[in-house]
Amino acid sequence: MDRSRLIPAMLVLTILGAMLMLPPLVYVFNQDIAHFGVRQIVFYLFALWLALIIGTALLARALPPEPADPDAGEGER
Amino acid sequence: MLSADFVIATAIGYVGLLFVLAYLGDRRARANQRSFLHSPAVYTLSISVYCTSWTFYGAVGNAARSGLEFLTIYLGPTLVFVGWWFLLRRLVRISHHQRITSVADLLSSRFGKSNRLAVLVTCIAVVGIAPYIALQLKAVTSSIQAVAGASEFGQGSLAGIDDVGLALGIAAGMALFTILFGTRHVDAKEQHHGVVAAIAFEAVVKLAALLTVGIFVVYVGGGFEAIFSRAAELGVAVDAANTFDSRWLTTLALSVAAIVCLPRQFQVTVVENSDENHLRVASWAFPAYMLLMSLFILPIAVFGLTTMPAGSNPDMFALTLPMAFGQDGLALLAFIGGFSSATSMIILESIALSIMVSNHILMPLILRFSAGSSGDGQGVTRLLLNARRVSIVLILSLGFFYFFFTRDSDALAPIGLISFTGIAQFFPAVLAALFWREASLKAATSAIALGFVFWVWCSFLPSFQSVSPAVAMLLAHGPWGISWLRPEAMFGLDGWDPLAHAAFWSLTVNVLTLTIVSLLTRQSALERLQASVFLDVFKRGHHARGNFVLGSATANDLYFVAERVLGERRAAALFETAAREAGVGADQLDPTPEFISRLERELAGSIGAASAHVMLSKVVSGSDISLEEMMQMADETQQVIEYSQQLELTSAELRSTARQLEDANGRLRELDIRKDDFLSQVSHEVRTPMTSIRSFSEILLEEPDISERQRQHFVGTIHQESLRLTKLLDEILDLSALERGERAWENTPTDPQAALDRALVVCEAALRQHGVRLELGERAPAALVEGDADRLCQVFINLIINAIRYNNAPAPVVRVQTAVRSGSYAVEVVDNGPGIPTGERTLIFEKFSRGKRGLTEKGGAGLGLAISRQIVERMHGTLELVDGPLPGACFRVQLQLAC
Repeated sequence: MDRSRLIPAMLVLTILGAMLMLPPLVYVFNQDIAHFGVRQIVFYLFALWLALIIGTALLARALPPEPADPDAGEGER
Repeated sequence: MLSADFVIATAIGYVGLLFVLAYLGDRRARANQRSFLHSPAVYTLSISVYCTSWTFYGAVGNAARSGLEFLTIYLGPTLVFVGWWFLLRRLVRISHHQRITSVADLLSSRFGKSNRLAVLVTCIAVVGIAPYIALQLKAVTSSIQAVAGASEFGQGSLAGIDDVGLALGIAAGMALFTILFGTRHVDAKEQHHGVVAAIAFEAVVKLAALLTVGIFVVYVGGGFEAIFSRAAELGVAVDAANTFDSRWLTTLALSVAAIVCLPRQFQVTVVENSDENHLRVASWAFPAYMLLMSLFILPIAVFGLTTMPAGSNPDMFALTLPMAFGQDGLALLAFIGGFSSATSMIILESIALSIMVSNHILMPLILRFSAGSSGDGQGVTRLLLNARRVSIVLILSLGFFYFFFTRDSDALAPIGLISFTGIAQFFPAVLAALFWREASLKAATSAIALGFVFWVWCSFLPSFQSVSPAVAMLLAHGPWGISWLRPEAMFGLDGWDPLAHAAFWSLTVNVLTLTIVSLLTRQSALERLQASVFLDVFKRGHHARGNFVLGSATANDLYFVAERVLGERRAAALFETAAREAGVGADQLDPTPEFISRLERELAGSIGAASAHVMLSKVVSGSDISLEEMMQMADETQQVIEYSQQLELTSAELRSTARQLEDANGRLRELDIRKDDFLSQVSHEVRTPMTSIRSFSEILLEEPDISERQRQHFVGTIHQESLRLTKLLDEILDLSALERGERAWENTPTDPQAALDRALVVCEAALRQHGVRLELGERAPAALVEGDADRLCQVFINLIINAIRYNNAPAPVVRVQTAVRSGSYAVEVVDNGPGIPTGERTLIFEKFSRGKRGLTEKGGAGLGLAISRQIVERMHGTLELVDGPLPGACFRVQLQLAC
């Protein structure tokens, strides 16, 4: 994927991530169910968290390297 | 069993280890630019200074008290890092460009390098962070007390020392360590590689400690399921029914703001960043770190609630659970983990704050009062370091005092959230700085100030409730009994969660003020310039342009300033590099605007953008910079506008030029036609006499038997025609000579009346011959004009003869009248003939132009009027065709009176 699609994908990931951890969407998984004694919502939040981390890692890896910044460093780096 | 003394000794030993690490890290980073200290892993670990003892102890306590709420503190930053491309990357790039050293510097730099804004932000940061530092002191104090309280060896050397004394000791120790480390030298970019190395190490220690405790708890609890099932049986459940209320939203929003605006987070994420690409790794690795830190929080909290005796402090579960199970080693590890998270926070926070305080408050004061005195090369550097040391002591003292006053009041997490709410006041301005071109200095300043006022009233003040009866009264009844001003129920908004209430009011007021004032105020030139530098930082080919106009600054003046701030070695290196690039000797360096900007950025790294700017402005242009000149170099938008205005102007010019060209072309065509006419007229005029001369001479040549009388006649004709020809050629020559200004005559005071009288005498015969009546109209009093009498007479004759010749009226009349009007003498020759058609009015003064009526007429060659006009013009007068009193033409000669 090229940059023009990766950047919108990053925006979608960020906004979707925020929406999924806020009401009302977060209520979808806030059911009175427990797995292994732990409420579903706990699994949900950690799974969402993990998904965001993996998604960001994949997108950041796929993103082509930045063109060199002409002004940065000034020979000090 | 652990003893308090042993724990304290371990803590001191641990700090010693950090010291060694920081020292080695600093040396290594300086010696080797490609060391692992410049790796994304170390960068990510240093960012995790976000996880303080609030995480280590407070999150467990928070989970025990409020269930899942503790997660928001980590989910917010996760969102910021997931969206790193949009916010953090921009922040890092801008800060590298502008040598930004703190969040105060960022805002000040963006909003016209205003030092006032920087001072405001710094003061708010110092006050806002005080509770946060107090939190760390409280956590460390509590953890030592927890160990000592449980110890069979008793208090050890702590006997007789209460938690206040302990906290004071800790604060003093931290101050010492921070001063030893944070202020060893002034770095151009405010990077502290050694400290970062130590912080990265601490990040590993605290993660390892918390994970170990977590795994131990799960192990002794018999696994996740057993822990949670047992808790459910005992009625201890993680309550999730009311989790996602306004508090969830508020803490999530506050943590988003905090990860960007907290001074230490800005320091590690933005200022200490040595490579933008490290953000790529940190974008997922830092959230992953926080996930790992949070993984066992719930089990520890739940297990603690079910196994520890009622009334135990849930904040200390991570420490007290291992002790309860007799695991001293593990407890010590837990203690070191908590201590680690507190020290790293205190060290970095006070370094970051001291940079702000010294750059924006102390240095401007010192610069102002020491402006005249000449110091040695290291003067300012030493002053700067001392200013930072004083700041660090001041900041830790404030934290201690907050701890002192509120030590009994609350659990850890709420104290941290007070700080978060205070620091969040910067966030709207930071976002506006990065994304909104129109955001103005006045708007940012008033928004932050107002938000801060609301924060103090609604959040900071209520935290003293338990220690001050006055504050408790205020909370219950409002100031002077005004109930709608109650800090926790502003404008009657009663029954809200205090945190959500404070955050709502302060941030709403903040954002509204920022927006409205921005729309109402105008930006200064420097603000506009900086806005475009910030917003266009990713535009290709965009370079931060110099903000300085070259004034009277000499390289010597600049060197003097640079030496005072940067020290002799760095200043010399900077100037030598510039001189080498310019290809001149170091003593001949001519300071270009680019060089001055570079110097400003270097200075900004040491003393902040505003101070550097003020300092160099003074040197470069005497006292102040002309804003107009700065406008010249202003932002790209401005340039585009100017450019398009120029284009418009140019195209308008082009249009008018094109029109002129068109006119000229038309005129050329006309002249071309006229020239053809002229040539054909001349040839016509010349050919007629030539033809008759030739034919008569042929007759004379070819017919010898011709009578003498006839011969006489023919020769007479030839002679006459030759005269006509000569006269014509004379006239043409005369005219062209006049036109070229060759025939010079002296204009002398002349009596025009005399010339007119002479002309009338000459024309008498012609008048009689054509039966034209001469009327003499008004006559001017005697006057003198500049001119030549003979030439003037010639003009009058010409006009009168014309008036006679073309007059075909039944009773032809020519009227001649003179007058003196407004400094000039005028002669009008009027006839009652057919007049001159409108279309020919401009043409009749041209050569050979006799008008239609003259075409059939045999007579002059049509040069009369043209010659006349030339003559009058040479006398600085005018000859015009005007509307006269009679139906025919009216020629007016106007000459200036001789003085």
